[in-house]
Amino acid sequence: MTSENIIETQDLSRHYQIGGNMVKALDSVDVQIKRGEYSSLVGPSGSGKTTLFNLIGGLDRPTKGKVYIDDVDIAKLDAYELAWLRCHKVGYIFQTFNLIPVLTASENVALPMIFAGKSRKERTEKAANLLKTVGLGERMNHRPVELSAGQQQRVAIARALANDPTIILADEPTGNLDLNTGLEIIEILRKLNTESGVTIIAATHDLKIINVSDSLFWLRDGKIERTERKNNSNREMQTTS
Amino acid sequence: MRKSRRLDAKIELPLSEAFRISLEQIRKRFARSMIVVLSVALGIAFMSYLQMTNVILSAYMKQEGVVIEAYQSWLVIVSLFVCGVGLVNSMLIATYERYREIGTMKCLGALDQHILKLYLIEAFLFGLSGGVLGFILGSSIATLSSILQLGLNALWRIPLLETLQLLGLTLVLSVILSVIATAYPALKAAKLNPVEALRYDI
Repeated sequence: MTSENIIETQDLSRHYQIGGNMVKALDSVDVQIKRGEYSSLVGPSGSGKTTLFNLIGGLDRPTKGKVYIDDVDIAKLDAYELAWLRCHKVGYIFQTFNLIPVLTASENVALPMIFAGKSRKERTEKAANLLKTVGLGERMNHRPVELSAGQQQRVAIARALANDPTIILADEPTGNLDLNTGLEIIEILRKLNTESGVTIIAATHDLKIINVSDSLFWLRDGKIERTERKNNSNREMQTTS
Repeated sequence: MRKSRRLDAKIELPLSEAFRISLEQIRKRFARSMIVVLSVALGIAFMSYLQMTNVILSAYMKQEGVVIEAYQSWLVIVSLFVCGVGLVNSMLIATYERYREIGTMKCLGALDQHILKLYLIEAFLFGLSGGVLGFILGSSIATLSSILQLGLNALWRIPLLETLQLLGLTLVLSVILSVIATAYPALKAAKLNPVEALRYDI
């Protein structure tokens, strides 16, 4: 069952009706993302990065086309299965961090584990470990407002890892961070990718991320303009059946 | 294949955890929460004032050999209605405030029913605390004014059983009122699509 592509889209389109106009935010996109790779969706703002990100993550429904995660067509999943997918299989990282303000760092990291039904002991231990991994061992009981932007994003990374997902989706993870903090975040993500083999997909226009990626998908006006795969000529794009 | 793979783990939000999160929400937004509790309390206080006065007066009158009936039920209904409308408004604002948060929770695997649960627990707590506060307020005023009108005698004649019954009724009513008023905002919040919820900026 483990095919080489962890995520595959076919003729994926998302249209919006704005006023009287039909806006094609995403227009017939085919991408294959390989297991264990660090992929980036690159393009100027308005190119459809975030739309693609949302569709791949099962946060939005396509107008047309299909998204397969591990060979499962996610359009066929019901609400429960979709929530299950978000809970266990995919970890999300956002530009705006999106931590729950009323919870501490450790509680934020533990939240997905509550949904997954882990025991309290398991949750606190794992949250502590994850926060140590991202270098926040000292700040477990701080609330998001008491943390810097970079620290908040680290909490968000720890939270994304809570249920050992196979995919991490990051939407402009460095978009709200200064240069050095952004580099630190990229470093953490890259390390996760190489050490634990988690597939990372980042929507970005940050050149620093582009440099560390295995695959690049360049988007323009809702279409894939070109696909680049680095240092791996035998991993050429396959045609989808 | 898909189904069988999904059976090995489930998604849940235990009541104890939901309670804790709701309590944190209330604590964090303490000022606003208190305003909500107060608005419940005021409606309930008015109701318990009228009811308590009834209890005291009818107990007093019974001993004097007179039976009176209350004709204020429409006042009670109107006051509770006004209080309910205020509550719907507060909870709607609370929902807008938390759009992003709800979107985030959904991205982390929360089901609609989990979001609903969080809201209803909050409503329950608001209803309960507003009810207790309102009852204390309303019945004390009723007792005081009865004492002023009828003398201290009235105090000793307050029937304990009926007062307790009234307290029970008041709490049940205030919780029901609070939960009904929260139902619409809570459903609205629970049904949010994660993408729309995340895009929302305040």
